[in-house]
Amino acid sequence: MNAWLLVAPLGVLAFAGLGIMLIDAFSPGRAELAGVTTTALLMAGLISVVALLSGVDPGELPRSLRAFIAVDHAGLYFDVVICAGAALSALLAGGYLKEHHLERGEYYVLLIFSALGAMILARAVDLITLFIGLETMSLGVYCMIAYRRTSIRATEGALKYFLLGSFAAAILLFGTALIYGATGHTDLAGIGNVLAAGGADARLVLLALALIVVGLAFKVSAVPFHMWTPDAYEGAPTPTTTFMAVAVKTAGFAIMLRMLITAFGDPLSASPETGWPPLIAGIAILSMIYGNVAGLAQTSVKRMLAYSSIAHAGYILVAVAVSYAAREQAIASVLYYLLAYTVSNVLAFGSLILLGSRGKEAVTYEDLAGAGRRHPLAALPLVIGVLSLMGFPPTAGFFAKYYVLTTALSIGGGMVWVAIILVLSSALGAYYYLKVIVFLFMKEPQAGAPKAVPMRSGYVAFALVLAGYFVIKMGVTPEPYLRMAVDAAQSFIS
Amino acid sequence: MSTANTVLLVVSALLALGGAVGTIAAARPLRAALALLVNIVALAGVFLSLHAQFLAMVQLIVYAGAVVVLFVFVIMMVGATGKVPRSPRGLATKTVSLVVMSVVSLVLVFGVAYVSMPAAHLPHGYGTVEGLGAVLFTQAAVPFELVSITLLVAVVGALAVARGRTPKEAAEARARRAAEGLEADARLAEERRISAEVSAHGGH
Repeated sequence: MNAWLLVAPLGVLAFAGLGIMLIDAFSPGRAELAGVTTTALLMAGLISVVALLSGVDPGELPRSLRAFIAVDHAGLYFDVVICAGAALSALLAGGYLKEHHLERGEYYVLLIFSALGAMILARAVDLITLFIGLETMSLGVYCMIAYRRTSIRATEGALKYFLLGSFAAAILLFGTALIYGATGHTDLAGIGNVLAAGGADARLVLLALALIVVGLAFKVSAVPFHMWTPDAYEGAPTPTTTFMAVAVKTAGFAIMLRMLITAFGDPLSASPETGWPPLIAGIAILSMIYGNVAGLAQTSVKRMLAYSSIAHAGYILVAVAVSYAAREQAIASVLYYLLAYTVSNVLAFGSLILLGSRGKEAVTYEDLAGAGRRHPLAALPLVIGVLSLMGFPPTAGFFAKYYVLTTALSIGGGMVWVAIILVLSSALGAYYYLKVIVFLFMKEPQAGAPKAVPMRSGYVAFALVLAGYFVIKMGVTPEPYLRMAVDAAQSFIS
Repeated sequence: MSTANTVLLVVSALLALGGAVGTIAAARPLRAALALLVNIVALAGVFLSLHAQFLAMVQLIVYAGAVVVLFVFVIMMVGATGKVPRSPRGLATKTVSLVVMSVVSLVLVFGVAYVSMPAAHLPHGYGTVEGLGAVLFTQAAVPFELVSITLLVAVVGALAVARGRTPKEAAEARARRAAEGLEADARLAEERRISAEVSAHGGH
């Protein structure tokens, strides 16, 4: 099999993005761009799956390519997760944008190029590609948030995210400059080798490490770098929110793993006393507690899901924090979690889109009151989605949390306490997830309050069926997906 | 590093720092833009002292020549002559952020100042157009191509955010305004009717 298969997903998306621009230029408003975008993204994802299963030897690819873009199984796995998340977001956009009269070609171009940026970021093995991928992804997302121009909230969210995001990118860039100064390398493996040989000043390395962790923690919206999350999630069009919650987060965790394990994997930086593990564990604890406590007080479901995304970043960071010791198991649980989180989130946000229509968007708990009894089919995905986010068996979210928990417990020591915080804070979080179900089925809308009316859209329905299938499938038979995650985790270890 | 080089580096760095402070501290937008120009030109000096001649030239042409001029154009066009409104934040918030940022900056400064860095070996032709071009098109061709996608995203994104309403959106906005107008008329008529009724029944 040809080795170019390993980078074909990136090429497919690049050409699809250009193609969509041309289609939109020559037949504006006529083509079904949502369908084209979804097809391209699914195709890229499918190629990644084929490449994963076929075991192609990457040695045939030119060195100048392999020096910047990872061609390992982890990269392909992240491709699958990002393409799946982006394809499902594109399907949601197909319904949402039409319903709210926002259908314009730019959205799909931005979506597909952002997904490409996320994939480049997740595959970056060099500080240069890291920054290019990060900026490509982020620029697209900023514009996708500000897309609804008439909305003040969208503009506010986008501007906050843009300003704080630029600041975080500058901090990250400063960190990468310092680590280049300390080691003389921009490739992660080279940095790792110099650090392992003890050839760099420890103070400079720790400083660079701290700056890089801050920059990356911002992208995955971990406390205390989460300030932008609720506003950006709430103000953005819901398909954008979905994309941010799934693809951006996946890419953020992917590059975090690559950075921490490949570049900063030496005994000093990864020391469980003074290196990054306690730093990451601290951020994880703060995120879990803050996300779940602040989530309780929300009246808007979209905002609640934003705080839930902060809390989930915390859960995933627990697994990242122990990846210095239980390598394969910890990395595999991160990878599995990202896939489970992607499909669960699409289900929750997609159902929220489906339950609202033009001028009657379902955003708050009150909007959902009684909707479950009036429109049970449209509400069912939301129920499954929040149950999976809660970690209720038999859904994908249950095994995701279970694997993180067992990994943390297998380390013992202080990580046991982190695991206890994980369990307690998710129990707290169950309250606001269950509140959604209570409002759907046990409340009635107040007299005179506007009732949310579900929209009709084949795109959204298809996305929900697809995501729902995988949420249940991953909850009933998690083994094949876990095997895939373990296989991908191997590429970090060798 | 030769003495002349050190002098160039120190002077440029101080100027750059001053320009940066001026950019955020200036109350008038035009002064802020000019302070930014000082910062950018001084940075070109820093690049020169690091033997990156081509980068220094690009810095001058692109940033000083194009970007700042664009800023000044926009400031002139929208006529932003007024002062920036004072920040509504209290003294406590300002003090805390000043202290935190000072601590972070000092840690960074002292962290970087007293460490040993490996002496870089400058390859032949480093910093020249020729040297940079050779690296860009042989070793770094992949990131070079990827940057073009970043620029494309920026262009499309700017278009998506800044473009005007589509005919459909404009028609909708008109319809909404008209509906609001009708509603207001109806409310006014209703109020008139009620007040007429009240005055007709007078005194009850």
